[in-house]
Amino acid sequence: MSSETPFQINVPDEKLSTLRAKLELANFPDELQDAGWKYGSPLVDVKRLTERWRNQYDWRKHERKINEMLPMFTRNIDVDGFDTLNIHYVHKKSETVDAIPLLFCHGWPGSFWEVTKILPLLTASAPEHPSFHVVALSLPGYGFSEAPRKQGFGLNQYAEVAHKLMIALGYNEYVTQGGDWGCFITRKMASVYGGGHHKAWHTNIPMAKVPTWKSPLSFLSFLLTPWSTEEKAGIERTKWFRTKGQGYFAQQSTQPQTLGYGLTDSPVGLLAWIYEKLVLWTDNYNWSDDEVLTWISLYWFSRAGPAASLRIYFELREDCEDLGRDPTIPMGASYFPKEPIILRAAWVRKLNNVVFESHHKSGGHFAATERPEELVQDLRKMFAKGSPAFAIVPGRTGYA
Amino acid sequence: MSETPFQINIPDKKLSILRAKLELATFPDELQDIGWKQGPPLADMKRLVERWKNGYDWRKYEKELNQELPMFTRDIDVDGFGALNVHYVHKKSKTVDAIPLLFCHGWPGSFLEVRVILPLLTAPSPEHPSFHVVALSLPGFGFSEGSHKPGFALDQYAEVIAHKLMIALGYNEYVTQGGDWGFLITRRMAAKYGGKHHKAWHTNFPMADPPNWKSPLSFLSYLVTPFSPEEKAGLERTAWYRNKSSGYFVEQSTFPQTLAYSFTDSPVALLAWFYEKLVIWTDDYKWTDDEALTWISIYWFSRAGPGAAHRIYFEVHGDFYNLGRTSYPTIPMGASYFPKELLLLPSAWLRRLNNVVSESHHTSGGHFAATERPKELVEDVRKMFAKGGPAFGIVPGRSGYA
Repeated sequence: MSSETPFQINVPDEKLSTLRAKLELANFPDELQDAGWKYGSPLVDVKRLTERWRNQYDWRKHERKINEMLPMFTRNIDVDGFDTLNIHYVHKKSETVDAIPLLFCHGWPGSFWEVTKILPLLTASAPEHPSFHVVALSLPGYGFSEAPRKQGFGLNQYAEVAHKLMIALGYNEYVTQGGDWGCFITRKMASVYGGGHHKAWHTNIPMAKVPTWKSPLSFLSFLLTPWSTEEKAGIERTKWFRTKGQGYFAQQSTQPQTLGYGLTDSPVGLLAWIYEKLVLWTDNYNWSDDEVLTWISLYWFSRAGPAASLRIYFELREDCEDLGRDPTIPMGASYFPKEPIILRAAWVRKLNNVVFESHHKSGGHFAATERPEELVQDLRKMFAKGSPAFAIVPGRTGYA
Repeated sequence: MSETPFQINIPDKKLSILRAKLELATFPDELQDIGWKQGPPLADMKRLVERWKNGYDWRKYEKELNQELPMFTRDIDVDGFGALNVHYVHKKSKTVDAIPLLFCHGWPGSFLEVRVILPLLTAPSPEHPSFHVVALSLPGFGFSEGSHKPGFALDQYAEVIAHKLMIALGYNEYVTQGGDWGFLITRRMAAKYGGKHHKAWHTNFPMADPPNWKSPLSFLSYLVTPFSPEEKAGLERTAWYRNKSSGYFVEQSTFPQTLAYSFTDSPVALLAWFYEKLVIWTDDYKWTDDEALTWISIYWFSRAGPGAAHRIYFEVHGDFYNLGRTSYPTIPMGASYFPKELLLLPSAWLRRLNNVVSESHHTSGGHFAATERPKELVEDVRKMFAKGGPAFGIVPGRSGYA
């Protein structure tokens, strides 16, 4: 097992000048009258962000900040049947020696950077709540991790990388927190490594198979049990996403490379594509322009390039349609009202070993960014003294 | 309201911007042995970009188009949308009483698709009917102005062509040929203006509705009638299209503006998105690089910009699924089936709800029939309107013969 190398982001000057040169040549489409957000990212926003990216945005300043705030490393991870991948990750230990090892797993268009706000909160030591040693990886093909070179790198492989990373760091037993692809990946980890290594999992997009007529009792209960106001709103949101919000998914899961050419050649194209999600999937989060530009720059400057990040949709498409076996290890579920897919908590409870649940009144898809305190509170509660998942990792209760 | 002769003349500045962007082109990596599975292969893309940057001579092809295609523009007033300046090809046959025919393209097509069939359709001969041909650029495509307001949908596209352009050209009665959006637009025309003005319609993109349980006899027959090998292959092709090749459709019909930024800022983005369709929607058609680049340059240099055309998917989206609930056209219909078309449903389903008078089933060819199989397409149209044919003389006084 190879060892780790400390890592600092240091984008070569050449990449910065190429970006600047492309932004200097930026061309914009027109826009229909009063389009607002109806047709996609509004022209006024994309122009403003492009202008800032070209002239005022200081990548080196933000790069420095990330390097200062996040202790980062890289190490080689062998993947069965695939190449060795060099994986980039954040790793910060709590001062509490027996803190709970927790893996934070991002999705698309997220990144390791999403751990930034919750990192100091999770690792903080206090007698009132458990603490965590935190690992936040860049998934293969994202951030500063290498991307697989062969086809067929699927859910099992992503889970394998994440699991092997924890083991390599000496965390033989661990818990996870994941949203978006991070949810699917940590769920697979729970199925494959659950019990022996993976002890509990928390997600902010709780998933379940929707009851169908094939399981008559569930289906009947699904039809008859009255819906709460929150649940009704959740279904409306889910309906919006399914009818209006699946374009990116349909493209990325069928012809990711076609899209990838555009996202690699045009920073404006990449900006518009991701910015749309940052706004439509959040709950009125007040993105600063620099926050948006840093988020997108991490894709633009990523080690494997932005096209590589799309391939997960192609490889995991079937996994999305057929969720497969449900994990049995304890699960935590946090419901945020502007998450694009919201299912009934009762279904999730029926098919998972839910030991913790919380329903929030605000917040959306990027919970760690929008509601960092609430998300961390949820995790603390899930593993607190007296809760069902307390001391789930033997010898690492999270308390001094 | 009069017409102005039109010649394509892209300003030098636009050519240098294209060159500057191509000089800066950056490419992704590619998975091993991926071929066409996730999009156009890297080798193809690099080769095409290189050619577009160095070697491809836009001015040469611009001149050719100007020489081959008699083009015009005229202002067309669209109810609720104001006047749009519409670009079109208009060529009369030497046969005085030729049948007026409107050729309607779709996406990612253009007026360019009339190029090879134009001389064939207009050719005079005692053996077959001839046509006066009009091929417009749909608003937002080619060199036509695009709508500036939302809501420009099937009724508006139909109005531009049927009610305004053809009438303005003195063709009070006419027939149409269309594929892709051209099918939907000419079908709307047929439903609204059929009989009085629009006399017959031909399509190479025959979209039918499957029989459903609401018409029990059809549904029953659908359940028990075995499918022919051609029909089975067609249904498989349709399933492939629905599952593997409709990503573009979902994005374009939900967030066209988000996509427009890539197309407008990056010729590479546009090239990849469009070239993919040119290849996987055709039946092994041997595109030359220059042919593909000219096709895509029309979009890059289009009047409304490369981000405008696909708004049609958003605007018509709701309308699309309502088509079954509006009245079906009753005017005579001709249908050509090409095996690599995207939606291929059993021809009985089409005949059930349309007045199909002429049908052809081909053993090769795909979505861009006018480019891939121009002779076959023209023959199909001729046979529909020929002496002794089912739609002969449908336009009074314009039989297509001397």
